[in-house]
Amino acid sequence: MKKALTILIVAIGLIFPDGTEATREDKPPANRRNFVACPIVRDTKTLPCWLAEYEGELYFLGLQGSSASEFYPPQLNHEVLVEGTVTNEPRICGGIPLRPVKISVITELNRACNTLLPAEDGREAPAAPARRFTDDMRKAGTETTQRDFTVPFDFDSDYLTFHTTRILSEAARIAKAVNAAKIEVLGYRATTWLSNGNRLMEAQTIAEKRAKKVGEILVGLGISASAVSVNWNPTPESCDGVTDPEKRRVTIRIMP
Amino acid sequence: MRNHGNPDIRLIYADGDMKQARFQRHVIRLAILIAGLGLFVMIVRRGTAGYQGTPQALQWIEAGAGGLLPAELHFENALGKLGVLNTSGPIEMKGHPFFEPLGINPRGCITCHQPAHAMSVSVDALRERWRATKGEDPIFAAVDGSNNPKLPQALESSHSLLLNRGLFRVGLQWPPRDHHGKVVQPEFSIEVVRDPTGVNLDDTYGLKGVNPTVSVFRRPRPSANLKYVMSPDDVFNIKTGVLMATDPETGKPVSMNLMADARHLTLKQQAFGAYKDHQEGRQGALPREEIEKILAFENQVYVAQSFDRWGRSLVEAGGPIGLGPKAMAEGKVHVLANNNRDPVFRVFDAWKKPDAMPKDLSLEQREFRASVARGNDVFMFRQFWIRDAAHINSIGLGNPIKRTCATCHNTQMTGQDLAPGWVDVGTTNYPTWTEPPVFSDKAELPVFKCTCDKSAPPHPYLGRVIYTNDPGRALITGKCADIGSIVMGQFRGLAARAPYFSNGSAKNLRELVDFYDRRFDMKLSEQEKVDLVNFLSVL
Repeated sequence: MKKALTILIVAIGLIFPDGTEATREDKPPANRRNFVACPIVRDTKTLPCWLAEYEGELYFLGLQGSSASEFYPPQLNHEVLVEGTVTNEPRICGGIPLRPVKISVITELNRACNTLLPAEDGREAPAAPARRFTDDMRKAGTETTQRDFTVPFDFDSDYLTFHTTRILSEAARIAKAVNAAKIEVLGYRATTWLSNGNRLMEAQTIAEKRAKKVGEILVGLGISASAVSVNWNPTPESCDGVTDPEKRRVTIRIMP
Repeated sequence: MRNHGNPDIRLIYADGDMKQARFQRHVIRLAILIAGLGLFVMIVRRGTAGYQGTPQALQWIEAGAGGLLPAELHFENALGKLGVLNTSGPIEMKGHPFFEPLGINPRGCITCHQPAHAMSVSVDALRERWRATKGEDPIFAAVDGSNNPKLPQALESSHSLLLNRGLFRVGLQWPPRDHHGKVVQPEFSIEVVRDPTGVNLDDTYGLKGVNPTVSVFRRPRPSANLKYVMSPDDVFNIKTGVLMATDPETGKPVSMNLMADARHLTLKQQAFGAYKDHQEGRQGALPREEIEKILAFENQVYVAQSFDRWGRSLVEAGGPIGLGPKAMAEGKVHVLANNNRDPVFRVFDAWKKPDAMPKDLSLEQREFRASVARGNDVFMFRQFWIRDAAHINSIGLGNPIKRTCATCHNTQMTGQDLAPGWVDVGTTNYPTWTEPPVFSDKAELPVFKCTCDKSAPPHPYLGRVIYTNDPGRALITGKCADIGSIVMGQFRGLAARAPYFSNGSAKNLRELVDFYDRRFDMKLSEQEKVDLVNFLSVL
């Protein structure tokens, strides 16, 4: 029995090498689907749909959009970490919609992830969501009362998207407007509780990378370097299988 | 008219006024005298003030030749004529730093940026220069106009990359230097796998020399239409998610779309770099006023194809509004045009119906114009799967995306990327390059093996071991993910400056279209390919 357990632990360790903790406890809530899989892209008569399969069921992740879209699609040749909540909505492109859903492209190549399905009658894509990319998004805000900002990140990533760069711009604008005496930047590292009970931990250095990047950008946006304090917490945040994506973050606090 | 004893004429004179006949002879003699004097003045002016008159005389401008560069010129090429417009009026080339040799060798900026070749230079012109000067033209200077400065420079084979592909040697320091000249710790090691020119393994110029250098071979980019090329995007660089690089003098964001590897951020930096590297000038020896004159010239010159191959102007009332150099001079900058409201090269509807075209056009011309209009539609609206292109698929758009040529070539009037446009489209990296096998004796370009550090993010579609002819942007950033990424170039004046791609791997527009067709499995029909080629030929 001990031998079998050892083999099992080693096997799980092989599946989740770097930065992965593979202990089995309880599982996330039943309506959550947190898993790593190869993404699937399905062509349609309009926009391609992105899907992923978990335990024999197909889930709809989102539609192809643009760099200004809320949803950044996965990438073939890479696995994807899916963190979403099952809905009762009708299937889209053959998959059960997950909402909200957060996807993160796993950095390492996996050439087995290569499924592109043709368009079929009866598997239509829904209308594309309205673009948030408007002129308004490029304009600076007017209010200056906000003091705390949270910059979210994909799993194991310090890449700032079109949307998250806007958060930094706004934070810098307000810091300058209120002549902030200090700006605290704090980077975090998180863990994702997968639906199979395993925990997927972010790389050890990611909190530091995130914090330093945000700090440098704030300085680049005109904040005095002496006013910006950059810190990070190398200890991974606890996970609950629901709010884990929100914990992959950098917080900015403006102190007038 | 002279009388050669024709009695009928004598009769006429006899019947008319003999005085009038004598007067006519005087007028004719005077006219001949004036014409001769004019010819003499023209010859003298050409001798003292340089080229004046027909564009033919300006087909190749030698540095230091002087003369007047007219405000508007039209140069013949195989696909029609290229229009060149100097919006500030005629340019006196004598004493102008763009047109004069400034460094140690006798080259000027003009040497590699010729108006007849859309302010770049074509392979046909280079071959002609080799023939006409027996290889003595300064453009073949050993420093970068040959495959390797140590090769016997009198031999044509020592300049094969320039003569066959229009490529100049670009030697870049290793490890890389950032935009401030600071050494960058690269995420990858680089080794020379094949070195047909011998320069990368050379003990002076090579990777293991005293000043380790990686030599890559690239086409010169057109120094025209630069208001579009230099137009900066947002404060943030959407490709990297960090702040855009800034002009060190003004602190303002820059476009990063000027160079193939975006190493020079401003026209001023580029001018200094070209002076130092291509003209072998001394560091810091270029006066500020000369730089300003170079920049002033570059910022006012526009190029675009202006006539079709039948000699008919492409710019006609009621025709496409995006053609010709005047449209380039007048166009708005920084317009995202990957849409059907105001497309990248504007609208070609007037050319969609041959019956509605001017009546004096031949059937062939009508069909050509209709083909161009279809080609525009293919460029703008023909969808295909864009796949495994680093810095397109990897920046949040997804891999693959079902979009069009205009998705990436989205800037109105030039077809560059509105954002910093470095992309690994696959022209320089194995396995999508079009070069012969690495072991082949026919291989012309160097092959480098780049091995990325395990701790670094890999190239998103090639992993951590990449074979490449040119690491591109990665030779500046040192990033594994940037290996093979090249800043896309502008589409204007293409007919005047073959070959294409930064490594000259597409000899003509058809090869360019074929590359994309294969690379992205576009499944273009023969008609679509012809239409795309015709479309590109009029830009």
